[in-house]
Amino acid sequence: MTDAIVPAREVFRNFPAPLVAAFYLLSALAILVFCYGAWLRIRKYRRGRPAHRMSHLGRRLRRAAAAIGSHSTLGRRHAGTGAAHFAIFWGFVALFIGTVIIMIDYDMVRLVNPQWRFWRGTFYLWYSITLDVLGAAFVVGLGAMMARRWWVRPAALDYSRPDRAPGSYDRAPYVADDRLFLWLLFWIGVTGFLVEGLRIAADPAPFERWSVVGWQLANLFDLMGVTSLANPLHLAGWWVHALLALGFVAYIPYSKAIHIVVDMANLLFTDERAGKRLPAVPEGAGAQGYETLADFTWKELLDLDACTKCGRCHVACPARASGAPLSPRDLILELREHAEATFGGSSWLHETAVREGDGKVAGGVIKAETLWACTMCLACVEACPVGIEHVPLIVQLRRRLVGDGTLDATLQGVLEKIGRYGNSFGQSERLRGRWTQGLPFRVKDARKEPVEYLWFVGDYASYDPSLQELTRAVARVFQRLGLDFGILYDGERNSGNDVRRVGEEGLYQLLMEKNLAVLGKAQFKEIITTDPHSYNTLRFEYPEFGGAFRVRHYTEVLSAALGGGRVPVARRLAGVATYHDPCYLSRYTEVTEAPREILRALGLTLVEMGRNRANSFCCGAGGGRIWMGDTRTPGVPTPSEQRIHEALEIAGVRYFVVACPKDVTMYRDAVKTSGQEGRIEVKELIELVEEAISLPAEEIPDGG
Amino acid sequence: MNIVVPVKMVPDLVEELEVDAAGHALDRSFLKLRINEFDEHALEEALLLKATHGGTVTVLALDTGEVDETLFTCLAKGADRAVKITGDFQEGVSSHAAAVVLARALGAVPHDLILTGVQAADDRDGQVGILLATALDLPHVSVVSGVEPAPGGKAATVRQEYSGGIMAELEVDLPAVLGIQAARAAPRYAPVSKVRQVMKTQKLEEIPAPPVEAGAGSTVSRLAKPETADRAEILEGSPEEVADRLLALFAERGFLKR
Repeated sequence: MTDAIVPAREVFRNFPAPLVAAFYLLSALAILVFCYGAWLRIRKYRRGRPAHRMSHLGRRLRRAAAAIGSHSTLGRRHAGTGAAHFAIFWGFVALFIGTVIIMIDYDMVRLVNPQWRFWRGTFYLWYSITLDVLGAAFVVGLGAMMARRWWVRPAALDYSRPDRAPGSYDRAPYVADDRLFLWLLFWIGVTGFLVEGLRIAADPAPFERWSVVGWQLANLFDLMGVTSLANPLHLAGWWVHALLALGFVAYIPYSKAIHIVVDMANLLFTDERAGKRLPAVPEGAGAQGYETLADFTWKELLDLDACTKCGRCHVACPARASGAPLSPRDLILELREHAEATFGGSSWLHETAVREGDGKVAGGVIKAETLWACTMCLACVEACPVGIEHVPLIVQLRRRLVGDGTLDATLQGVLEKIGRYGNSFGQSERLRGRWTQGLPFRVKDARKEPVEYLWFVGDYASYDPSLQELTRAVARVFQRLGLDFGILYDGERNSGNDVRRVGEEGLYQLLMEKNLAVLGKAQFKEIITTDPHSYNTLRFEYPEFGGAFRVRHYTEVLSAALGGGRVPVARRLAGVATYHDPCYLSRYTEVTEAPREILRALGLTLVEMGRNRANSFCCGAGGGRIWMGDTRTPGVPTPSEQRIHEALEIAGVRYFVVACPKDVTMYRDAVKTSGQEGRIEVKELIELVEEAISLPAEEIPDGG
Repeated sequence: MNIVVPVKMVPDLVEELEVDAAGHALDRSFLKLRINEFDEHALEEALLLKATHGGTVTVLALDTGEVDETLFTCLAKGADRAVKITGDFQEGVSSHAAAVVLARALGAVPHDLILTGVQAADDRDGQVGILLATALDLPHVSVVSGVEPAPGGKAATVRQEYSGGIMAELEVDLPAVLGIQAARAAPRYAPVSKVRQVMKTQKLEEIPAPPVEAGAGSTVSRLAKPETADRAEILEGSPEEVADRLLALFAERGFLKR
């Protein structure tokens, strides 16, 4: 037989005909079960509202393919887990494609013309080595993940909930799903190799050396002396492997394995600006925000199924870390359980818990205190490897709470003040520019004369008496740099960034319209902001309403000026400084290098905290939290206190540098409340800049 | 049950207040007005009563300026009707005149219960409710912090809070006028989108104020900002010496008539 020398193998080796038929029957059954489960899920997503995620499909495909292929989101800050999943993923892909190749060759090409079969010869050799190597990676990757889950036990994989009392829920079914999933895949991989080894042991042909793992296993079987049993063992092993694999196919849509499919889709349809640019309320919408699941978009329903419980958001969340009843993970999982109970779904293993309520989501399924605990720091969205958008969803639910009037009394008071006076301090709008009175020069009124840079000052910098000196420092530095700048005085309103994130969309629209009206009349080339929160909404959200401006944060302007040598550093500073990235400057607007370049230019030794740049840890003030009553758990340090402790781990640290007015307030408080006074000094970057570039007093040029 | 809430606009204390040239009143040219805080409580109590017992809530306001947005906000919070009483009120209006105008207006508005704020921040006289009750010949209870209508709607139990934590419950026949000190819950929030929607979809009713004759009650003889002394003198010495010095000072400043 010529076939003996052409590398190839028989598909159904030593199979009596009825067994072949049984295999096809079982395969069809498994695929049917899969399709049914998949349809249940698709039916659920079809009940979602439109999400407008079909635009730029080409770019979306490229981006998703890059993220999935390289595991860039999975590997970010998690090199080990990322590598293990990478091995499992590509191993799975290879084994899947390998099976499809056999199907095409044997079940299609063979039936058309056996001469055209291609799964043989050189192709077969490459096929063998590829599948063996990647198959081995698959098994090793799974082993690593099992060791991590059951031996290392990272905090992220602890399923206990901060928003429910212990004992009021049981997540053992989730743990069972994890076990089933991992062991199924593991044994599919292992039995595959055993079957291959037995086949090679029974029919050892030299070309089988290309099956690198199987060949070694065959040698092992030889040593063990089981070669004589290889044929019956192969048949039995083949069936075990086949049943496991077919069982897995059927199991996919009913378990966490569905993430194989759903997460690819979720990464394809995710919004790059999720949270940065919140969804507008459609014109004429009866009520704002989400009341029931019927208000969710299909992408939001997809988000719920995409969660693999990896716990990265759970660990990153400042609310969770400070004992608040919020975990982004549990928010998603709770809603998933609710969605499956309401719209149907296909998961077999559910959390068992008493579910109350009348289907109301905001303030019902998800408690109001959970929604109000969010600081809108975006850490969850940034950490999520599969493109889940927690933050916009929380805002949609908050919108409903605001619409119902279910809000914290302090917050209500602040919103009323902002609505009435345009600032959160409840002071007269006429006093907004009063901080300029302490300056030796006049700050231009950008409404009355053209300026190059329009400085959008923000509420805290304008009104907070403890921050006004810093605001004047910014003005003095701008003056020293020779910038042609001006402000809007009482024409400026709160930018609305945090008002929008509180869920008061109507007030946001009002503020934005008023600001746009004033900005529309002013003549300027560019907006500079001191407040990263204002920066975000001016840059990402105002354009949607007709306010497309060039916007930069003052650190970007300063970094360019210092880097360009426009202003010499007169006095180099010394000491160890660490820089805290404000959420809205790092995760939101992605300005992380400019402040660092400035610090280095000033001569300071910059040492990073463990969590830096996009992984920065929130101070706890965002999302309107700074306007709400203190609801933290006694005894648990606040996020800002935790951050100060993190900074103090740096040996010899002197300055805790921030570039956000709210951060100055939050961290100066935190240093006091955590009893660390004298050990670290909270500095707004501008203070250091001014100190380093200032001339002796008499040389300060007279402005005007 | 038909509940009527007359609301009043008072000067916003966030803006700096100026006394007019004559020294009798605030200079209204720079005044920013806002709803009287006690009236917000009266409205809240009315809305809570409506939620549990049904009925309608009508808000009345004299057009003293900047009243439209306030009335729309009341509608957004859940009031059914908002009535603006137009007339020459731009320079302010006395409690007596206000009570008479409101009483006339109420002739056309069905009412089982009239809730006013117990007093207003601008004059602090707390008389409108009392004068209104007198004009309509209705019973009146002041400083109320809780209202519970009796079954049948012919009477209501009202709660008053006294100092020292003592509570009194009174029964009053309806219709009645009540001066609300505090609602059972903090006044609710009116989301801006709701207010704007109401502005687009609902209209304020307007009724012209009839010409009325009313006594002024009390008149302001002088209105002035508190004078701040730029120095303080500390009297030292024995009690006798200090007493003598005090007496001398009182005589010197004209506080003592001998």
